[in-house]
Order: sequence, then C-alpha cells, then structure tokens
Amino acid sequence: MERIEVNGVSYSYQNKYQKIEAVKEVSCTFESGKMYAITGESGSGKSTFLSLLAGLDCAESGSILINGENLSEMDRDACRRKQISVVYQAFHLFPLLTALENVMYPLELQRISRQEARRQAAKCLEEVGLEEKILGQYPKMMSGGEQQRVAIARAMAAKGKILLADEPTGNLDSENEAHIVELLKRMAHEMDYLVIVVTHNPGIALQADVCMKMKDGRMKMESTKGCIQ
Amino acid sequence: MHEDEGRADEDGIYERVYTMTFYYSMKQMLRSPLKSILFFLLVGVSAFLLALGGSLSKMNAEMVWEFEDIFTTIGTVEQKDESIVTAARWEADKGDYVYYRYGRPGKWIPNAVLDFERAGYILKARQRPYFGARIEEKVRGAADRHLLVAELTAEVSDVLEHSVPMRVSKVLAGDLNVGDTVYICDHYGDSDGGYEPRRVEEGKTYIMGLHESSNVHGPWVEHIAPEEHAYEFMAINSVASNQYTMDGEQVYDAVAEAEDWNTFDEVTEGFYETERGMRWLEQAKAQEYEFYTIPVEPVDGTKLLLPFYQNEVQISEGRDITEEEYEEGKQVCLISVELARVLRKGVGDSVTLPLYYAAYEPAERFDNAYLTSILNAEGKVYPVFYEQDYEITGIYQKTSVMGSGDHNLAVHEVIVPWNSIPENAWADNIVDFEPMSAGNTSFQIPNGTIDDFMEAWEKQGVEGLDIQFYDNGYSHLQPGIENRKLMAWIFLASGCVLAVMILCFFSNLFITGQQERIAVERLLGRTKKQCALSILTGLFVLAIAGTAAGSAVGWMATDRAVKATESTTEFDTTFSNTIIDSGDDEETDFTAAGQKTGAEMAVAAGCGMMLAAVLISFGFMRQTLKKEPLQILGELEE
Repeated sequence: MERIEVNGVSYSYQNKYQKIEAVKEVSCTFESGKMYAITGESGSGKSTFLSLLAGLDCAESGSILINGENLSEMDRDACRRKQISVVYQAFHLFPLLTALENVMYPLELQRISRQEARRQAAKCLEEVGLEEKILGQYPKMMSGGEQQRVAIARAMAAKGKILLADEPTGNLDSENEAHIVELLKRMAHEMDYLVIVVTHNPGIALQADVCMKMKDGRMKMESTKGCIQ
Repeated sequence: MHEDEGRADEDGIYERVYTMTFYYSMKQMLRSPLKSILFFLLVGVSAFLLALGGSLSKMNAEMVWEFEDIFTTIGTVEQKDESIVTAARWEADKGDYVYYRYGRPGKWIPNAVLDFERAGYILKARQRPYFGARIEEKVRGAADRHLLVAELTAEVSDVLEHSVPMRVSKVLAGDLNVGDTVYICDHYGDSDGGYEPRRVEEGKTYIMGLHESSNVHGPWVEHIAPEEHAYEFMAINSVASNQYTMDGEQVYDAVAEAEDWNTFDEVTEGFYETERGMRWLEQAKAQEYEFYTIPVEPVDGTKLLLPFYQNEVQISEGRDITEEEYEEGKQVCLISVELARVLRKGVGDSVTLPLYYAAYEPAERFDNAYLTSILNAEGKVYPVFYEQDYEITGIYQKTSVMGSGDHNLAVHEVIVPWNSIPENAWADNIVDFEPMSAGNTSFQIPNGTIDDFMEAWEKQGVEGLDIQFYDNGYSHLQPGIENRKLMAWIFLASGCVLAVMILCFFSNLFITGQQERIAVERLLGRTKKQCALSILTGLFVLAIAGTAAGSAVGWMATDRAVKATESTTEFDTTFSNTIIDSGDDEETDFTAAGQKTGAEMAVAAGCGMMLAAVLISFGFMRQTLKKEPLQILGELEE
C-alpha cells in the first residue's frame, strides 16, 4: 500500500529576471489503487509539483512523506530506482536501445540477471499490450503510442508502485491516448499502483479517480470524478 | 510480476551495476558505428602523430646528445702574415745565393681580441705558451749536435767563408771530445749582405755556441771524401737575452742590442771573470739544462690540441684528464709514451715539474727548433717559477697516421690543466714570443654555432687573424638534424592540435549530444557518477583502443621515418666517419647514433592522449551533469 502525504510544500526558483514561486503551501494525500489527475494552466506549477514528488527537486518548506518517510531525508536516487517511476510526454526512451532493452535497463540496475531481466521485461511489455515484434525495435521505429507504452512498461519494470506521469498523452493521437489512459487506470485499479497524472487534457481528468487543480502554485480543488470545468 | 527473486542486497548491487554499465555503454556506443569508427580512427591518427612525433623528438634528442659526445667543434687562430718577403741567402758550399720566400707577420695581435661578446665559448680562446720543465733525467740524446757550447782553437788562420779546422779545447755543454778537430763555417756569411764571414787566427781560442749545419767544404777539407759525410758547425746562440714581457715586448738587454745572434768571443786569460765570460758560463749551463728539459703544455681541454682532436694521438694507457680536473686545475697530467719510458713511470705515478721558462710558440717547436737564447735579461738562467708534483692519469701515443694532421706534439710533451698553474706565474720567464698560431691558440664552441661565432667575430672588425674550424663534419650533419627536429615538431604539434580538436568534437557528440540519455538515466535513479561512467566507459574503451593502435603504428612508422631522413644525411656522415675511423680502432657509426627506436615515447604519447581524453571528457561531463535532468529534458523539448 503506497501513500504520499504532502504537507504545506512550497517551492520557488529564480529565473533570469525574477523569483518564481511555483508551488505554494500545497497539502494533499495520495494513495495506491487510485489514479489522480492534476490539472491546471501552463505555468500553474503542476509539473514542478510532480518533480517534487519524484524527488528531482527539494521542497523549500513543508514535507513530502513516502509511506511515512520524509523524502528529503531519503536517498532520492534510490527512491526513484525502487519506488517512484516517471513517465513523460516526450517518452524519453534510450534511442540506441531496443524496446526490450529499454525495459530491461531498470531491472538490471537492480542487479537482476540479464536472463531474468529479459523475461520480466518481456512480460511488462506484454502487459502494456505491445506485440512481440516490437521488442527488438528501436524507439524511432515505433509510433508515439508504442513508445509511451514502452515508457510505461519501463516504469512498471522498475518495481516501484508509484507512477508519476507528466502529460503522458500529450504527443499521442486520440486512439493511442485512450489506450494509455486505460492502461494507467488498469495499473491503478488492478495492479494497485498509485498513479498521478499531470495533464491539461480534460478527457483524462474526467477519467481520474481523484482530480486536483493547480492555479498560481496553489492546489485549488480536490474532487472525485469530473472535477474539471 | 513483482518478483523479488534475483534481487540483490544493497552492498552487492554495485559489481553488477558496473558490469551492466559497461555492457550498455558499449552497446550504445557500437550502435552508432559510423561515429564510433570515426572516433576510433581519428583518435588513432592523433595517437599516431603524437607517437611518431614523440619518438622522433626523443631520438633526435638522444642523437644530438650522443653527437655532443662524438662531435666537438674547435677553432684555431693564426695571425696572418702581413706580407711575403723574398730574400736571398748565401750558401757557402754552393758559392751562390739561394732565394727563398717567407711570410712576415705584422704587429702582434693580443689574444684578448678573441674575448668578445656572443663568442659563446665552451673553452675560451687562449694563446698557450709551453713551459720548459727541468727534470732529473736526461731526455735529449747525448749525440745531439745542436746544443753545444765549447772552446775551439783555430788550427789555421782563415776567414770562415768555408769549413775551417779548429781543435776542441774545452767542452762546456754538449757532446764533443776534447782534442778532436771540427770544422767551423759562417755558412750564410755574405759580405754583400752585411754579414761578413769572420776571421779566426791560428792558435787563438774562441768560445762558441755550435750548431751542426751542412757538409764540410772548401780547401781545408779536400782530404775528406764526400761519402764520409763530415759535417761542419756554425756558431749560433750568443749570450744576448731574448726575454719578453707578457705583452710581447722584448725586455731591454744592452748585450742583445749590441751583437748579432751568432756572436762568439775570444777566450783570453781572466775571460770568465768578465761580464761576457760569466754570461757564457750561464749560457753553457742553460744549454746543459736543455738536455734535462721537457715541454709542458697547459690547456683547458685535451681536445683543444689538434693532434688529439684529429686522432693522431690517442691515450694508450690510463685515461684522459676529466673536464672537472681541467676546471678545478687538479695536479694531473698526460705524458707521452716516450717520456714514460725515460722516466720509467706509469699511470698513477707522480712526476715533479719544475717550470722555469715559458715560450709563446707551439710546443712541437721544442723538438725541431732551438731557442736562440735561454738567458734572461740579466744574463742568467731563468729560475724555476713554479714546481709541483703531477699525477699521471694517462699515457698517450702517436698513431700510425701521425703526420697527416696539421700539428704535432713534442716527443716528450706533458699536458697539464691550464688552471693547475697560477695565472701569469711565468710573466718574468718568457723566453720567446711569437704571434698566435693554430698550434697554440684554440678554443671550443658549441656544435653548430660556427656561423653565429663568425657573425659576432666579424662585427669586432679585427683584421689579420685567420680562424679555422674543425667539427668532424658536424655542420654537414646539421641540416639533417634540423630537418628531423622540424619534422618531429610538426608531427607533435599536429598530433596535439588534432587530439584536442577530436576529443572536444567527440566529447561534444558523445556527452553533450547524449544529454537526454543522461537525464533519463538520472530519472531512473542512477547517480551522477554512474551516469558519467555509463557515458564515458564506451568513450574510453574506444579511445584506449584507438590510442593503442595509433601509438603502435606510430612507433613502427618511426623506423621508416628515420630511414627516410637517413637517406638525406648519408652523404654528410661519410665525411665524419672517415675522419674518426681513420684513427679509431673501434668503428664509430654515426648513422646508428640515436637511431634505436624505443617504445617509451609511443607509450608516453598514448598516456598523454588518454590523459587529454580523460580531462576533456570529464570537463564536458561535469558541465552536463551540472544540469538537473528535468532542466535538460525541458531544454530538449523546447
């Protein structure tokens, strides 16, 4: 059972001209078995908030507890290796590795033998609905939807039960978008993942179990089903 | 699907991670084969140039270093004759004049003019005197017929225009038998030339310095057959002094002013109590000393003596005087094998050298010419000015090619360090003075600097000196050496530039160009160190392979490059080989000097290349890792 507690988290950064307060006093809770959607306009702070949850940045104030452990006190690299996976709009696969090798990579990072990693990676790819013929293909040979599925399979292979997705369907057509959303929902509901999707696609938000909206760095609203409008 | 099997504990994870890092790093590197091959080849080319340039540079340095041992550049200085004079000399036996030409030197030029700026001497130019050292052993033969002082009584009254018989009544110096009849002639006496043959009166006794000259001739010797080879004497060496100062000025002596070089005196009762009589006794003593005198030549380096330089003389026992011994003025010496026999001494023994006169002329003159006077301006034998024991470090011997060179050493010559004798200790004992000549004025300059020296010398504007250089052909080899130096530097410089350019270009390609991969690896939980390893492992493996291959080929190519340049220096070295080989039993092969190609520089070039690869790639890596993964991905999406 995965759980993230966010308590009064704030974060700001300095750009070339001014200090940007990207996240302000955000408090919320996330639990496994649900798909969460965080929406908001561009610059509202939702992607920054996601990077804080992924441990890619450190909150200035407040705390993020992963299963009760303060993320700022944890080895955040190890945390991403073992507990949290991130999926991006641009997929970010290793261009010189095949689909199978991309998925094997995080497995091998955890000292799983190559043979076993191959077996588990193939299984992950099967679970995201990719055909066997895709396994040996390089990312540039695949469609956007296929690449995103490989990215999700790689996230699944990492063994962590928390999946953070930043605009996962931003580069996909509607058919592939539906497949990916379905996959994320299935991961939450059937595989007990804690899925947080950052998106400004209302369609995805409508399908989330819990929907949150960010505006000017603040979490404005939290509701279940159909929060957007 | 979340199996725990196959997972390792935290500590054990790293070994596997490193293996997999290497695996994936290589895999990704090899999946861009064009870039990888290009990188491999270009790194190889850089390493090749570095190894080739480095090896050639090292070989050049070794060769020049060896050449410094083999080659020495010395210069000799000779004051040119100011004019050539034709003169006539009466030959009494022929009854006619013999015409001859001789060079007349101009005003004496002091050797101080050779002490000028930018001369760059290794051993400075000096006009060396040789010293007379009076030793215990008689070194000149008893039969020497040129160093005699005797009283002779005329058997007839006659003018010495032909051989006139005189009986030896007393021998003061040299080897003559009392009672013997000898023939005396003013052989070159010519009444027309102002030097009239003198007259002797029967029964009168005269004291003379005698010098054996030509065959007897004239009416008093008709009973002697030509095949008997009877020789007449002529009178030489008066009691006049020929002393000089350090500046080459003759010290005033009224006697010298008053008489000719071959004056003789009639011996009457009480003659030896007169001033002239006492001078004759001193002259006889000095002449007798000459039988016990050996020439000692002070030098700054053995190679400054042309017979040694030209290998006409070699050290057959012991060793040469070292540079340090020369520099420090140690009491050590080299002696000739002839002197060693006379003294019955060998290497390690000491010889006492009481030095009593200095002659500013080549030491070889000691054997084949005779000092016209060895009395000082007071009419006395020169006193010893410096006496010291010298240890014999080596015995030298003339080689079979003796005489082919320009100058010789005296038979019993002793060579000592210049600095072993107090400077100018001989100032009051100078018995003769001649202008600088190649036999006693030489210097050493660095190899290959003859042109620089001459350029600086010509700026001095000193006329009248002839400077000759001897370098055993180094100047002929120099262009070849310079070519190789230039070639080596071109290879090295182009290798360095190419290496830096290639490493920067490919670091940019393989590191900065793979920012996305780095960012994704970071997102997957890899540490910065692991990311760096992941990227750099493949890069380094290829760089090592390329460097190793390039260095090896560069090393092998060095031999070919050397052979190529050898063909341009072959002609030049022939001259040098001939010179050295002519007097050296051990064959000296200049072309082999410094030509052995060691792998050290190829290895060093490879290491340098890898060091550059590490530094440059780490620099790029550091810049890339400074950025957070999201920043990188954000920039890429833009």
